[in-house]
Amino acid sequence: MKRLGKYIALFVAVLIAVAPVYWMLTISLKLEVDQFASPPAWFLFSPTVAHYTDAFVTRSFGQYLLTSAIVAIVSTISALVIGTLAAYSLARFHLPHNLDNKLSLWILSTRMFPAIVTAVPLFLMMRDLRLINTRLSLIIVYTGFNLPFVVWMMRGFFAELPRDLEEAALVDGDSRFGALWRVVLPLVAPGLAATAVFCLIVSWNEFLFALVLTQTDAAMTLPVGIAGRVTQYEIKWGVMSAAGAVALVPILAFALAVQKYLVRGLSLGAVKG
Amino acid sequence: MLKSKKFFSAANRRDLFFPLILLAPALAVLLSLSIYPLIYSIAISLQYETANGLTWGVSNFGRLISDRFFQIAMLHTFVFAFFALLLEFSIGLGLALLLNTHIRGRGFVRAALLVPMMLPTVVVGVIWRLMLNPNFGAVNGTLKRFGLNTESLTWTASPRLAFGSVVLVDVWQWTPFVFLVLLAGLQAIPQEPYEAALIDGSSRWQTFRYVTLPLLKPAILIALLLRTMDLLRVFDQIFILTEGGPGFATETISLYIYRTAFRFFDFGYAAAMSFVLLAMTNVISTIYIRFLQTKEAR
Repeated sequence: MKRLGKYIALFVAVLIAVAPVYWMLTISLKLEVDQFASPPAWFLFSPTVAHYTDAFVTRSFGQYLLTSAIVAIVSTISALVIGTLAAYSLARFHLPHNLDNKLSLWILSTRMFPAIVTAVPLFLMMRDLRLINTRLSLIIVYTGFNLPFVVWMMRGFFAELPRDLEEAALVDGDSRFGALWRVVLPLVAPGLAATAVFCLIVSWNEFLFALVLTQTDAAMTLPVGIAGRVTQYEIKWGVMSAAGAVALVPILAFALAVQKYLVRGLSLGAVKG
Repeated sequence: MLKSKKFFSAANRRDLFFPLILLAPALAVLLSLSIYPLIYSIAISLQYETANGLTWGVSNFGRLISDRFFQIAMLHTFVFAFFALLLEFSIGLGLALLLNTHIRGRGFVRAALLVPMMLPTVVVGVIWRLMLNPNFGAVNGTLKRFGLNTESLTWTASPRLAFGSVVLVDVWQWTPFVFLVLLAGLQAIPQEPYEAALIDGSSRWQTFRYVTLPLLKPAILIALLLRTMDLLRVFDQIFILTEGGPGFATETISLYIYRTAFRFFDFGYAAAMSFVLLAMTNVISTIYIRFLQTKEAR
Protein backbone atom coordinates (compact mmCIF):
# COMPACT_ATOMS: atom_id res chain seq x y z
CA MET A 1 0.00 0.00 0.00
CA LYS A 2 2.75 2.37 1.05
CA ARG A 3 4.76 1.36 -1.99
CA LEU A 4 1.82 2.14 -4.23
CA GLY A 5 1.51 5.61 -2.72
CA LYS A 6 5.17 6.22 -3.44
CA TYR A 7 4.78 5.29 -7.08
CA ILE A 8 1.67 7.41 -7.45
CA ALA A 9 3.50 10.43 -5.99
CA LEU A 10 6.41 9.97 -8.39
CA PHE A 11 4.06 9.46 -11.32
CA VAL A 12 2.29 12.72 -10.54
CA ALA A 13 5.65 14.53 -10.23
CA VAL A 14 6.82 13.23 -13.60
CA LEU A 15 3.48 14.16 -15.17
CA ILE A 16 3.64 17.70 -13.82
CA ALA A 17 7.24 18.10 -15.05
CA VAL A 18 6.68 16.80 -18.56
CA ALA A 19 3.04 17.47 -19.50
CA PRO A 20 3.42 21.26 -19.98
CA VAL A 21 6.32 20.72 -22.39
CA TYR A 22 4.29 18.16 -24.28
CA TRP A 23 1.38 20.62 -24.37
CA MET A 24 3.54 23.23 -26.10
CA LEU A 25 4.67 20.63 -28.64
CA THR A 26 1.04 19.78 -29.46
CA ILE A 27 0.19 23.47 -29.89
CA SER A 28 3.08 23.81 -32.35
CA LEU A 29 1.61 20.96 -34.41
CA LYS A 30 -2.04 21.97 -34.25
CA LEU A 31 -4.17 23.94 -36.68
CA GLU A 32 -5.63 27.03 -35.08
CA VAL A 33 -9.06 25.39 -34.75
CA ASP A 34 -7.56 22.66 -32.60
CA GLN A 35 -5.43 25.07 -30.56
CA PHE A 36 -8.51 26.75 -29.18
CA ALA A 37 -10.52 23.55 -28.71
CA SER A 38 -12.37 23.16 -25.43
CA PRO A 39 -11.86 20.79 -23.68
CA PRO A 40 -8.20 20.75 -24.71
CA ALA A 41 -7.16 18.03 -27.19
CA TRP A 42 -4.11 16.29 -25.71
CA PHE A 43 -3.79 13.44 -28.18
CA LEU A 44 -6.35 13.55 -30.97
CA PHE A 45 -5.82 16.23 -33.59
CA SER A 46 -4.60 16.34 -37.16
CA PRO A 47 -0.96 17.47 -37.05
CA THR A 48 0.49 20.16 -39.32
CA VAL A 49 3.99 21.56 -39.82
CA ALA A 50 2.61 24.87 -41.08
CA HIS A 51 3.77 26.77 -37.97
CA TYR A 52 7.32 25.50 -38.37
CA THR A 53 7.57 26.62 -41.99
CA ASP A 54 5.85 29.88 -41.06
CA ALA A 55 8.39 30.56 -38.30
CA PHE A 56 11.58 29.41 -39.97
CA VAL A 57 10.91 30.05 -43.67
CA THR A 58 8.48 32.98 -43.83
CA ARG A 59 9.59 34.76 -40.67
CA SER A 60 13.12 35.41 -39.44
CA PHE A 61 13.41 32.62 -36.88
CA GLY A 62 15.93 30.81 -39.08
CA GLN A 63 18.18 33.83 -38.73
CA TYR A 64 17.75 33.97 -34.95
CA LEU A 65 18.60 30.30 -34.79
CA LEU A 66 21.81 30.87 -36.73
CA THR A 67 22.78 33.80 -34.48
CA SER A 68 22.09 31.76 -31.35
CA ALA A 69 24.27 28.92 -32.65
CA ILE A 70 27.17 31.18 -33.68
CA VAL A 71 27.14 33.16 -30.44
CA ALA A 72 26.90 30.05 -28.27
CA ILE A 73 29.67 28.17 -30.05
CA VAL A 74 32.18 31.00 -30.38
CA SER A 75 31.70 32.27 -26.82
CA THR A 76 32.01 28.73 -25.46
CA ILE A 77 35.27 28.12 -27.27
CA SER A 78 36.82 31.38 -26.12
CA ALA A 79 35.68 30.95 -22.51
CA LEU A 80 37.00 27.40 -22.55
CA VAL A 81 40.46 28.35 -23.84
CA ILE A 82 40.95 31.32 -21.53
CA GLY A 83 39.36 29.65 -18.53
CA THR A 84 41.18 26.33 -18.79
CA LEU A 85 44.58 28.03 -18.80
CA ALA A 86 43.66 30.04 -15.73
CA ALA A 87 42.21 26.98 -14.01
CA TYR A 88 45.38 24.99 -14.56
CA SER A 89 47.43 27.80 -13.10
CA LEU A 90 45.18 28.06 -10.03
CA ALA A 91 45.04 24.30 -9.50
CA ARG A 92 48.74 23.60 -9.80
CA PHE A 93 50.76 26.63 -8.74
CA HIS A 94 51.19 28.16 -5.36
CA LEU A 95 51.37 31.94 -5.62
CA PRO A 96 52.80 34.13 -2.87
CA HIS A 97 50.48 35.52 -0.17
CA ASN A 98 47.97 32.74 -0.84
CA LEU A 99 47.04 34.70 -3.95
CA ASP A 100 45.90 31.60 -5.85
CA ASN A 101 43.07 30.91 -3.40
CA LYS A 102 42.11 34.55 -3.15
CA LEU A 103 41.96 34.86 -6.93
CA SER A 104 39.80 31.76 -7.20
CA LEU A 105 37.28 33.16 -4.74
CA TRP A 106 37.29 36.53 -6.46
CA ILE A 107 36.65 34.88 -9.82
CA LEU A 108 33.74 32.95 -8.32
CA SER A 109 32.30 36.12 -6.81
CA THR A 110 32.08 37.80 -10.23
CA ARG A 111 29.74 34.99 -11.25
CA MET A 112 27.42 35.88 -8.35
CA PHE A 113 26.69 39.40 -9.67
CA PRO A 114 23.03 39.73 -10.60
CA ALA A 115 22.94 40.08 -14.41
CA ILE A 116 21.00 43.34 -14.36
CA VAL A 117 23.81 45.01 -12.34
CA THR A 118 26.30 44.61 -15.20
CA ALA A 119 23.70 44.82 -17.98
CA VAL A 120 23.26 48.58 -17.54
CA PRO A 121 26.96 49.56 -17.78
CA LEU A 122 27.70 46.90 -20.42
CA PHE A 123 24.97 48.35 -22.61
CA LEU A 124 26.51 51.81 -22.31
CA MET A 125 30.01 50.46 -22.96
CA MET A 126 28.86 48.55 -26.05
CA ARG A 127 27.06 51.67 -27.24
CA ASP A 128 30.27 53.68 -26.90
CA LEU A 129 32.11 50.98 -28.89
CA ARG A 130 29.32 50.96 -31.50
CA LEU A 131 28.76 47.25 -30.92
CA ILE A 132 25.02 47.34 -30.15
CA ASN A 133 23.10 44.98 -32.46
CA THR A 134 26.14 42.89 -33.31
CA ARG A 135 26.83 39.24 -32.61
CA LEU A 136 30.29 40.26 -31.43
CA SER A 137 28.84 42.10 -28.42
CA LEU A 138 27.05 38.96 -27.28
CA ILE A 139 30.11 36.78 -27.88
CA ILE A 140 32.20 39.12 -25.71
CA VAL A 141 29.65 39.31 -22.92
CA TYR A 142 28.97 35.54 -22.85
CA THR A 143 32.68 34.80 -22.78
CA GLY A 144 32.99 36.88 -19.63
CA PHE A 145 29.83 35.35 -18.21
CA ASN A 146 30.99 31.75 -18.69
CA LEU A 147 34.59 32.31 -17.68
CA PRO A 148 34.21 32.00 -13.88
CA PHE A 149 32.24 28.83 -14.40
CA VAL A 150 34.93 27.30 -16.61
CA VAL A 151 37.66 28.25 -14.14
CA TRP A 152 35.85 26.63 -11.22
CA MET A 153 34.84 23.47 -13.03
CA MET A 154 38.24 22.89 -14.62
CA ARG A 155 40.11 23.75 -11.44
CA GLY A 156 38.23 20.92 -9.78
CA PHE A 157 39.02 18.48 -12.59
CA PHE A 158 42.71 19.40 -12.60
CA ALA A 159 42.96 19.08 -8.82
CA GLU A 160 41.69 15.51 -9.04
CA LEU A 161 44.58 14.44 -11.27
CA PRO A 162 47.74 13.07 -9.65
CA ARG A 163 50.80 15.28 -10.12
CA ASP A 164 53.21 12.46 -10.91
CA LEU A 165 52.17 12.51 -14.56
CA GLU A 166 53.35 16.06 -15.15
CA GLU A 167 56.45 15.49 -13.09
CA ALA A 168 57.29 12.51 -15.28
CA ALA A 169 56.71 14.57 -18.43
CA LEU A 170 58.96 17.34 -17.12
CA VAL A 171 61.68 14.83 -16.27
CA ASP A 172 61.35 13.51 -19.83
CA GLY A 173 62.24 16.98 -21.03
CA ASP A 174 58.80 18.36 -21.85
CA SER A 175 58.25 22.05 -21.32
CA ARG A 176 55.60 23.05 -18.78
CA PHE A 177 53.22 23.98 -21.53
CA GLY A 178 54.04 20.72 -23.33
CA ALA A 179 53.18 18.79 -20.17
CA LEU A 180 49.84 20.56 -19.98
CA TRP A 181 49.04 20.08 -23.67
CA ARG A 182 50.20 16.50 -24.21
CA VAL A 183 49.70 14.91 -20.78
CA VAL A 184 47.14 16.77 -18.71
CA LEU A 185 44.57 17.97 -21.23
CA PRO A 186 43.83 14.53 -22.71
CA LEU A 187 43.17 13.26 -19.18
CA VAL A 188 40.64 15.97 -18.37
CA ALA A 189 38.96 15.72 -21.79
CA PRO A 190 35.67 14.34 -20.38
CA GLY A 191 35.49 17.15 -17.86
CA LEU A 192 36.36 19.66 -20.55
CA ALA A 193 33.58 18.33 -22.76
CA ALA A 194 31.05 18.51 -19.94
CA THR A 195 32.11 22.06 -19.11
CA ALA A 196 31.76 23.01 -22.79
CA VAL A 197 28.23 21.63 -22.89
CA PHE A 198 27.25 23.64 -19.81
CA CYS A 199 28.59 26.81 -21.42
CA LEU A 200 26.64 26.06 -24.59
CA ILE A 201 23.45 25.59 -22.57
CA VAL A 202 23.93 28.82 -20.62
CA SER A 203 24.70 30.86 -23.75
CA TRP A 204 21.85 29.29 -25.69
CA ASN A 205 19.35 30.04 -22.90
CA GLU A 206 20.61 33.48 -21.91
CA PHE A 207 18.00 36.19 -22.25
CA LEU A 208 18.64 39.46 -20.40
CA PHE A 209 21.93 40.50 -22.05
CA ALA A 210 20.63 39.45 -25.47
CA LEU A 211 17.49 41.52 -24.92
CA VAL A 212 19.49 44.57 -23.90
CA LEU A 213 22.20 44.33 -26.56
CA THR A 214 20.31 43.18 -29.66
CA GLN A 215 17.10 44.58 -31.10
CA THR A 216 17.42 43.98 -34.86
CA ASP A 217 16.49 40.84 -36.79
CA ALA A 218 20.07 40.47 -37.96
CA ALA A 219 21.53 40.33 -34.45
CA MET A 220 18.93 38.94 -32.05
CA THR A 221 19.05 35.44 -30.63
CA LEU A 222 16.24 32.90 -30.55
CA PRO A 223 15.06 33.72 -26.99
CA VAL A 224 14.81 37.42 -27.83
CA GLY A 225 12.99 36.60 -31.07
CA ILE A 226 10.49 34.44 -29.20
CA ALA A 227 10.02 37.02 -26.45
CA GLY A 228 9.37 39.73 -29.04
CA ARG A 229 6.43 37.72 -30.30
CA VAL A 230 5.02 36.90 -26.88
CA THR A 231 4.67 40.41 -25.62
CA GLN A 232 2.91 41.75 -28.69
CA TYR A 233 -0.86 42.14 -28.53
CA GLU A 234 -1.80 39.60 -31.12
CA ILE A 235 0.09 36.43 -30.40
CA LYS A 236 0.76 33.72 -32.99
CA TRP A 237 0.69 30.81 -30.57
CA GLY A 238 1.62 28.22 -33.18
CA VAL A 239 4.66 30.13 -34.44
CA MET A 240 5.86 30.79 -30.91
CA SER A 241 5.46 27.18 -29.87
CA ALA A 242 7.27 25.98 -32.97
CA ALA A 243 10.18 28.31 -32.24
CA GLY A 244 10.14 27.23 -28.59
CA ALA A 245 10.18 23.57 -29.59
CA VAL A 246 13.19 24.10 -31.85
CA ALA A 247 14.96 26.08 -29.10
CA LEU A 248 14.71 23.23 -26.64
CA VAL A 249 15.82 20.36 -28.89
CA PRO A 250 19.61 20.97 -28.63
CA ILE A 251 19.29 21.68 -24.91
CA LEU A 252 17.64 18.37 -24.15
CA ALA A 253 20.23 16.52 -26.23
CA PHE A 254 23.04 18.33 -24.39
CA ALA A 255 21.51 17.71 -20.99
CA LEU A 256 21.32 14.02 -21.72
CA ALA A 257 24.98 14.06 -22.70
CA VAL A 258 26.15 15.58 -19.42
CA GLN A 259 23.78 13.80 -17.01
CA LYS A 260 26.77 12.38 -15.15
CA TYR A 261 28.20 15.84 -14.44
CA LEU A 262 24.89 17.63 -14.02
CA VAL A 263 24.97 18.17 -10.27
CA ARG A 264 28.57 19.23 -10.31
CA GLY A 265 28.01 21.70 -13.12
CA LEU A 266 24.84 23.19 -11.71
CA SER A 267 26.36 23.73 -8.29
CA LEU A 268 29.51 25.34 -9.76
CA GLY A 269 31.54 22.33 -8.68
CA ALA A 270 30.42 22.58 -5.05
CA VAL A 271 28.63 19.21 -4.99
CA LYS A 272 30.33 16.28 -6.67
CA GLY A 273 27.33 14.20 -7.69
CA MET B 1 53.39 23.52 4.71
CA LEU B 2 51.00 24.87 2.13
CA LYS B 3 53.78 25.05 -0.42
CA SER B 4 54.30 21.33 -0.64
CA LYS B 5 50.64 20.75 -1.41
CA LYS B 6 50.97 22.03 -4.93
CA PHE B 7 53.00 20.75 -7.80
CA PHE B 8 55.05 23.78 -8.62
CA SER B 9 55.60 26.21 -5.83
CA ALA B 10 56.77 29.56 -7.01
CA ALA B 11 59.71 30.08 -4.70
CA ASN B 12 61.41 32.71 -6.78
CA ARG B 13 60.36 35.34 -9.21
CA ARG B 14 61.24 33.45 -12.37
CA ASP B 15 58.92 30.61 -11.41
CA LEU B 16 56.03 33.05 -11.27
CA PHE B 17 56.22 33.71 -14.98
CA PHE B 18 54.43 30.59 -16.24
CA PRO B 19 51.45 30.63 -13.82
CA LEU B 20 50.92 34.35 -14.32
CA ILE B 21 51.00 34.07 -18.12
CA LEU B 22 48.30 31.40 -17.89
CA LEU B 23 46.18 33.62 -15.66
CA ALA B 24 46.63 36.86 -17.57
CA PRO B 25 43.96 36.46 -20.28
CA ALA B 26 41.29 35.43 -17.78
CA LEU B 27 42.10 38.29 -15.45
CA ALA B 28 42.05 40.75 -18.35
CA VAL B 29 38.61 39.55 -19.47
CA LEU B 30 37.16 39.64 -15.96
CA LEU B 31 38.60 43.05 -15.21
CA SER B 32 37.11 44.53 -18.38
CA LEU B 33 33.74 42.73 -18.22
CA SER B 34 33.07 42.66 -14.48
CA ILE B 35 35.16 45.20 -12.63
CA TYR B 36 35.29 48.01 -15.17
CA PRO B 37 31.49 47.89 -15.67
CA LEU B 38 31.03 48.14 -11.90
CA ILE B 39 33.24 51.23 -11.76
CA TYR B 40 31.43 52.66 -14.79
CA SER B 41 28.17 51.97 -13.01
CA ILE B 42 29.30 53.75 -9.85
CA ALA B 43 30.25 56.74 -11.97
CA ILE B 44 26.89 57.00 -13.74
CA SER B 45 24.97 56.45 -10.50
CA LEU B 46 26.72 59.49 -9.07
CA GLN B 47 25.64 61.75 -11.93
CA TYR B 48 22.25 63.32 -12.37
CA GLU B 49 20.42 65.64 -14.73
CA THR B 50 19.95 69.27 -13.72
CA ALA B 51 18.97 72.40 -15.62
CA ASN B 52 22.65 73.01 -16.33
CA GLY B 53 23.40 69.50 -17.59
CA LEU B 54 24.94 66.58 -15.71
CA THR B 55 26.13 67.19 -12.17
CA TRP B 56 27.90 64.94 -9.68
CA GLY B 57 26.12 64.04 -6.46
CA VAL B 58 24.22 61.40 -4.54
CA SER B 59 20.78 62.52 -5.68
CA ASN B 60 20.10 59.16 -7.38
CA PHE B 61 20.60 57.38 -4.07
CA GLY B 62 18.43 59.94 -2.31
CA ARG B 63 15.58 59.12 -4.67
CA LEU B 64 15.58 55.52 -3.47
CA ILE B 65 14.20 56.58 -0.11
CA SER B 66 11.13 58.32 -1.49
CA ASP B 67 10.42 56.04 -4.47
CA ARG B 68 7.41 53.95 -3.52
CA PHE B 69 7.70 51.84 -6.69
CA PHE B 70 11.23 50.87 -5.76
CA GLN B 71 10.09 49.80 -2.31
CA ILE B 72 7.16 47.82 -3.67
CA ALA B 73 9.41 46.09 -6.22
CA MET B 74 11.81 45.27 -3.41
CA LEU B 75 9.00 43.83 -1.30
CA HIS B 76 7.75 41.78 -4.27
CA THR B 77 11.25 40.39 -4.79
CA PHE B 78 11.55 39.23 -1.19
CA VAL B 79 8.04 37.79 -1.01
CA PHE B 80 8.60 36.02 -4.34
CA ALA B 81 11.96 34.62 -3.23
CA PHE B 82 10.61 33.51 0.15
CA PHE B 83 7.61 31.57 -1.12
CA ALA B 84 9.40 30.09 -4.12
CA LEU B 85 12.30 28.96 -1.92
CA LEU B 86 9.96 27.46 0.68
CA LEU B 87 8.01 25.46 -1.93
CA GLU B 88 11.05 24.43 -3.97
CA PHE B 89 12.88 23.25 -0.88
CA SER B 90 10.04 21.26 0.67
CA ILE B 91 8.95 19.61 -2.58
CA GLY B 92 12.56 19.04 -3.67
CA LEU B 93 13.49 17.43 -0.34
CA GLY B 94 10.39 15.25 -0.41
CA LEU B 95 11.15 14.01 -3.93
CA ALA B 96 14.81 13.41 -3.10
CA LEU B 97 13.88 11.33 -0.03
CA LEU B 98 11.35 9.38 -2.11
CA LEU B 99 13.85 8.65 -4.84
CA ASN B 100 16.68 7.77 -2.46
CA THR B 101 14.94 4.46 -1.68
CA HIS B 102 14.84 1.30 -3.68
CA ILE B 103 12.50 2.06 -6.48
CA ARG B 104 11.99 0.85 -9.99
CA GLY B 105 12.63 3.20 -12.90
CA ARG B 106 14.69 5.59 -10.80
CA GLY B 107 16.83 6.70 -13.75
CA PHE B 108 13.77 7.46 -15.82
CA VAL B 109 12.11 9.49 -13.07
CA ARG B 110 15.31 11.45 -12.48
CA ALA B 111 15.73 12.24 -16.19
CA ALA B 112 12.09 13.28 -16.58
CA LEU B 113 12.24 15.57 -13.56
CA LEU B 114 15.27 17.33 -15.01
CA VAL B 115 13.41 18.55 -18.11
CA PRO B 116 11.96 21.81 -16.71
CA MET B 117 15.20 23.23 -15.37
CA MET B 118 17.16 22.66 -18.58
CA LEU B 119 14.70 24.66 -20.70
CA PRO B 120 15.46 28.22 -21.74
CA THR B 121 13.52 30.43 -19.33
CA VAL B 122 11.93 32.15 -22.31
CA VAL B 123 10.51 28.82 -23.46
CA VAL B 124 9.26 28.20 -19.91
CA GLY B 125 7.48 31.53 -20.17
CA VAL B 126 5.89 30.52 -23.48
CA ILE B 127 4.83 27.13 -22.13
CA TRP B 128 3.08 28.67 -19.15
CA ARG B 129 1.45 31.41 -21.20
CA LEU B 130 -0.09 28.54 -23.13
CA MET B 131 -0.94 26.47 -20.06
CA LEU B 132 -2.47 29.32 -18.07
CA ASN B 133 -4.39 31.04 -20.89
CA PRO B 134 -7.91 31.50 -19.52
CA ASN B 135 -9.59 30.71 -22.85
CA PHE B 136 -7.78 27.71 -24.26
CA GLY B 137 -5.10 26.87 -21.68
CA ALA B 138 -4.66 23.29 -20.56
CA VAL B 139 -4.89 24.12 -16.86
CA ASN B 140 -8.36 25.62 -16.97
CA GLY B 141 -9.44 23.13 -19.60
CA THR B 142 -8.49 20.24 -17.36
CA LEU B 143 -10.05 21.79 -14.27
CA LYS B 144 -13.26 22.32 -16.22
CA ARG B 145 -13.32 18.66 -17.09
CA PHE B 146 -13.38 17.83 -13.42
CA GLY B 147 -16.42 20.06 -13.10
CA LEU B 148 -14.75 23.10 -11.58
CA ASN B 149 -15.91 26.60 -12.40
CA THR B 150 -12.88 28.30 -13.93
CA GLU B 151 -14.43 31.63 -14.85
CA SER B 152 -12.60 33.56 -12.14
CA LEU B 153 -9.30 31.76 -12.75
CA THR B 154 -7.64 34.20 -15.12
CA TRP B 155 -4.15 33.51 -13.72
CA THR B 156 -1.57 35.96 -15.08
CA ALA B 157 -4.24 38.44 -16.14
CA SER B 158 -5.65 38.94 -12.65
CA PRO B 159 -3.81 41.10 -10.12
CA ARG B 160 -4.72 38.66 -7.36
CA LEU B 161 -3.55 35.49 -9.09
CA ALA B 162 -0.65 36.83 -11.14
CA PHE B 163 1.80 36.81 -8.24
CA GLY B 164 0.91 33.25 -7.32
CA SER B 165 1.25 32.27 -10.98
CA VAL B 166 4.81 33.54 -11.32
CA VAL B 167 5.79 31.82 -8.06
CA LEU B 168 4.29 28.54 -9.27
CA VAL B 169 6.06 28.75 -12.62
CA ASP B 170 9.39 29.26 -10.86
CA VAL B 171 8.61 26.34 -8.55
CA TRP B 172 7.83 24.21 -11.61
CA GLN B 173 11.12 25.06 -13.25
CA TRP B 174 13.52 25.01 -10.31
CA THR B 175 12.26 22.42 -7.83
CA PRO B 176 14.12 19.81 -9.94
CA PHE B 177 17.38 21.64 -9.23
CA VAL B 178 16.90 21.50 -5.46
CA PHE B 179 15.83 17.89 -5.80
CA LEU B 180 18.92 16.99 -7.82
CA VAL B 181 21.42 18.61 -5.45
CA LEU B 182 19.74 17.11 -2.38
CA LEU B 183 19.59 13.67 -4.00
CA ALA B 184 23.32 13.85 -4.72
CA GLY B 185 23.87 14.86 -1.09
CA LEU B 186 21.74 11.97 0.17
CA GLN B 187 23.59 9.47 -1.95
CA ALA B 188 26.92 10.67 -0.60
CA ILE B 189 25.92 9.83 3.00
CA PRO B 190 27.58 6.58 4.10
CA GLN B 191 25.58 3.64 5.40
CA GLU B 192 27.23 3.32 8.85
CA PRO B 193 25.43 6.09 10.75
CA TYR B 194 22.09 4.60 9.67
CA GLU B 195 23.12 1.17 10.92
CA ALA B 196 24.16 2.70 14.21
CA ALA B 197 20.83 4.51 14.48
CA LEU B 198 19.02 1.24 13.78
CA ILE B 199 20.91 -0.56 16.53
CA ASP B 200 20.15 2.26 18.94
CA GLY B 201 16.49 1.77 18.09
CA SER B 202 15.79 5.33 16.98
CA SER B 203 12.53 6.07 15.24
CA ARG B 204 12.33 7.09 11.59
CA TRP B 205 11.81 10.72 12.53
CA GLN B 206 14.78 10.62 14.92
CA THR B 207 16.96 9.05 12.23
CA PHE B 208 15.94 11.78 9.81
CA ARG B 209 16.38 14.59 12.32
CA TYR B 210 19.66 13.49 13.90
CA VAL B 211 21.37 11.54 11.11
CA THR B 212 20.12 12.57 7.66
CA LEU B 213 19.58 16.28 8.24
CA PRO B 214 23.00 17.12 9.78
CA LEU B 215 24.85 15.11 7.14
CA LEU B 216 22.80 16.70 4.37
CA LYS B 217 23.44 20.23 5.63
CA PRO B 218 26.22 21.17 3.15
CA ALA B 219 24.06 20.12 0.17
CA ILE B 220 21.05 21.94 1.64
CA LEU B 221 23.02 25.14 2.12
CA ILE B 222 24.44 25.04 -1.41
CA ALA B 223 21.03 24.43 -2.96
CA LEU B 224 19.52 27.25 -0.91
CA LEU B 225 22.41 29.64 -1.64
CA LEU B 226 22.27 29.17 -5.40
CA ARG B 227 18.47 29.34 -5.50
CA THR B 228 18.35 32.46 -3.34
CA MET B 229 20.82 34.26 -5.59
CA ASP B 230 18.77 33.35 -8.66
CA LEU B 231 15.45 34.23 -7.07
CA LEU B 232 16.55 37.67 -5.95
CA ARG B 233 17.55 38.59 -9.51
CA VAL B 234 14.57 36.93 -11.23
CA PHE B 235 13.80 38.51 -14.59
CA ASP B 236 13.23 36.28 -17.63
CA GLN B 237 10.16 34.28 -16.60
CA ILE B 238 8.28 37.25 -15.21
CA PHE B 239 9.18 39.39 -18.23
CA ILE B 240 7.58 36.82 -20.54
CA LEU B 241 4.66 35.87 -18.32
CA THR B 242 3.39 39.23 -17.09
CA GLU B 243 5.97 41.94 -17.85
CA GLY B 244 5.59 42.90 -14.21
CA GLY B 245 1.85 43.39 -14.55
CA PRO B 246 -1.02 43.53 -14.40
CA GLY B 247 -0.29 47.06 -13.26
CA PHE B 248 2.63 46.66 -10.89
CA ALA B 249 1.48 43.35 -9.36
CA THR B 250 4.47 41.20 -10.28
CA GLU B 251 7.19 43.83 -10.75
CA THR B 252 10.43 42.70 -9.13
CA ILE B 253 13.60 44.71 -8.62
CA SER B 254 15.35 43.43 -11.78
CA LEU B 255 12.33 44.30 -13.92
CA TYR B 256 12.07 47.74 -12.36
CA ILE B 257 15.76 48.41 -13.01
CA TYR B 258 15.35 47.19 -16.60
CA ARG B 259 12.35 49.46 -17.13
CA THR B 260 14.12 52.45 -15.61
CA ALA B 261 17.19 51.97 -17.78
CA PHE B 262 15.83 50.76 -21.10
CA ARG B 263 12.32 52.23 -21.23
CA PHE B 264 12.87 55.55 -19.45
CA PHE B 265 16.63 55.75 -20.21
CA ASP B 266 17.37 56.88 -16.67
CA PHE B 267 20.65 55.00 -16.47
CA GLY B 268 21.94 56.81 -13.38
CA TYR B 269 18.97 55.88 -11.24
CA ALA B 270 18.97 52.32 -12.61
CA ALA B 271 22.63 51.99 -11.65
CA ALA B 272 21.91 53.29 -8.15
CA MET B 273 19.16 50.71 -7.68
CA SER B 274 21.34 47.94 -9.01
CA PHE B 275 23.87 48.63 -6.26
CA VAL B 276 21.19 48.06 -3.66
CA LEU B 277 20.46 44.71 -5.30
CA LEU B 278 24.17 43.88 -5.44
CA ALA B 279 24.70 44.78 -1.79
CA MET B 280 21.70 42.67 -0.80
CA THR B 281 22.82 39.57 -2.67
CA ASN B 282 26.34 40.03 -1.30
CA VAL B 283 25.18 40.16 2.31
CA ILE B 284 22.94 37.13 1.88
CA SER B 285 25.54 35.02 0.10
CA THR B 286 28.15 35.92 2.73
CA ILE B 287 25.81 34.69 5.46
CA TYR B 288 25.25 31.41 3.63
CA ILE B 289 28.96 30.90 3.01
CA ARG B 290 29.72 31.59 6.70
CA PHE B 291 27.27 28.86 7.66
CA LEU B 292 28.78 26.53 5.12
CA GLN B 293 32.30 27.08 6.40
CA THR B 294 31.45 26.63 10.08
CA LYS B 295 29.70 23.38 9.25
CA GLU B 296 32.66 22.12 7.29
CA ALA B 297 35.14 23.06 9.99
CA ARG B 298 33.44 20.85 12.58
